[in-house]
Amino acid sequence: MRRSLRFLGGYLSANLQAAMEYRAGFWSQLVSMMLNDGLWMAFWWLYFRRYPVVHGWVVNDIIVLWAVAAGGFGLAAGVFGKAPRLARVITTGSLDSYLTLPKNVLLHVLVSATDASAWGDLAFGLVAFCVLIHPALFDLFLFLGLVVLIAVIFTAFLVLLGSLAFWLGNSEGLAQQLMGALISFSTYPTPVFHGAVKLLLFTLIPAGFISYFPVELLRDFRWPLFGGLVVFAIGMAGLAWFVFYRGLRRYESGNRLGAQAL
Amino acid sequence: MTSGSAITHKARRGLGRLRNAGKYWAVFRMSVASSFAYLAEIAFRALVLVALMVIFVQLWQTTYSAQSGALLGDFTLRDIIWYLALVETLATSVPPLNRRIDGEVRSGDLAYLLGRPCGYVLYQYAQYLGERVVRLAMAALVASTLALLFVGPPPLSFWGLLAASLVFFLSISIDFGALFAIGLMAFWTEETESFALIYSRLVLVLGGVLVPLELFPEPLGSIARALPFAALLYGPARTVIKFDLGQFGALLLQQGLTLLVLGLLVAGVYHLAVRRVNINGG
Repeated sequence: MRRSLRFLGGYLSANLQAAMEYRAGFWSQLVSMMLNDGLWMAFWWLYFRRYPVVHGWVVNDIIVLWAVAAGGFGLAAGVFGKAPRLARVITTGSLDSYLTLPKNVLLHVLVSATDASAWGDLAFGLVAFCVLIHPALFDLFLFLGLVVLIAVIFTAFLVLLGSLAFWLGNSEGLAQQLMGALISFSTYPTPVFHGAVKLLLFTLIPAGFISYFPVELLRDFRWPLFGGLVVFAIGMAGLAWFVFYRGLRRYESGNRLGAQAL
Repeated sequence: MTSGSAITHKARRGLGRLRNAGKYWAVFRMSVASSFAYLAEIAFRALVLVALMVIFVQLWQTTYSAQSGALLGDFTLRDIIWYLALVETLATSVPPLNRRIDGEVRSGDLAYLLGRPCGYVLYQYAQYLGERVVRLAMAALVASTLALLFVGPPPLSFWGLLAASLVFFLSISIDFGALFAIGLMAFWTEETESFALIYSRLVLVLGGVLVPLELFPEPLGSIARALPFAALLYGPARTVIKFDLGQFGALLLQQGLTLLVLGLLVAGVYHLAVRRVNINGG
């Protein structure tokens, strides 16, 4: 475990150094993503100015939702930057260069890149929560824990979608669209949805766990609810792990030659 | 009296222009054909549009049920869902033009295109139009089918339908100008994706993708309506759903002015950019 964390830290540091080689590009992506999230918040501020309560949700709930969702996605795509591109790695045969190395294949693939704009999401989440919510110390720690759990759910979902490439071939487009759907559904108030859509959000597209649980927990902390989210996140991670390695058995080498630094 | 040689000269010029237009028409047709080759990818993209439409329908159903009257501004639930279907059709059909131009600048492919017997800007415009038309048709099909299922037939008028093609064409032309200029920024900046992201989000909020601009609080609503972003999505969609001759005229003026300013900007940026191109033989 400790060796894996050291490996993760080493890669993260190297990825950040590589990204910072294009310093202006890195900062412009980071700032533009913060602005992007800020514009969404502006929309919700306008909406809640007109309708102050929507099925029990007030403007602070949407700020919490955006802070946790943006923070979680930012952490996932910042640390595991290859996760959104896993389908392409599989279909182009680029897994070859990871298979011969002594590290865990899935972990190695996931950490081998970072997304500069994701750090903007993470920064936005932290700033929005601290500046607009003024949390107590317990809430701040709870928020950080929730960001980690949501990051696990996002990463696991990306791995599941990417692993489809083992069976479907080029499934990059499908994976991108389903991830887009997850992000879209995760950033709207849960009480808005009803009927079959609500069922979908707590099953196939787990947006309900990203939007409903954190808001409820930061409103009124309950251990069973928190435990439920932890179990779900671990379950998703386990399922993603299982599906990836089951798919890996079907992987055919692309005879790809390449050097893998680090 | 006009001399015979003058007539021949005029006829030749006319023929030359026709031939020029023919070249770009061929590029447009090629782009349409190649977009059809990736129809599955375009269909996948429609998945997000389905998600967005479901979200908007449920959000606005909840909003309407939470208030006392059947109108928000002068929009009924049916109006607003059709309005959102139209703006989403426009907003989700934008091809990654800025990324293509950025790539051509960085890879040097731009130099090859500059040597071709056609204008680079018009070549890109024709290619963009071809791609956009196919994406627009697919998005319109998906969004209108869903809107029809959720709230019934659209509140269309004859004049609204007639105006649609013109205001939509001007809207996608404005988009071209903005994205092309952003792509050319690759001559000066390390990456252009962040500019494109901010542009798309400004269009999203100030262009009325999430909510019609008259539902914004004042004076923000008036400011947003006066900005060029309104000419991209809000104006065209509102013209189709709630046609009003006065507003239509104002929209045409706004779109024309935006296009003129963008055209000058693109010409200026392109002129500066081309001077930075170095072509080495070998």
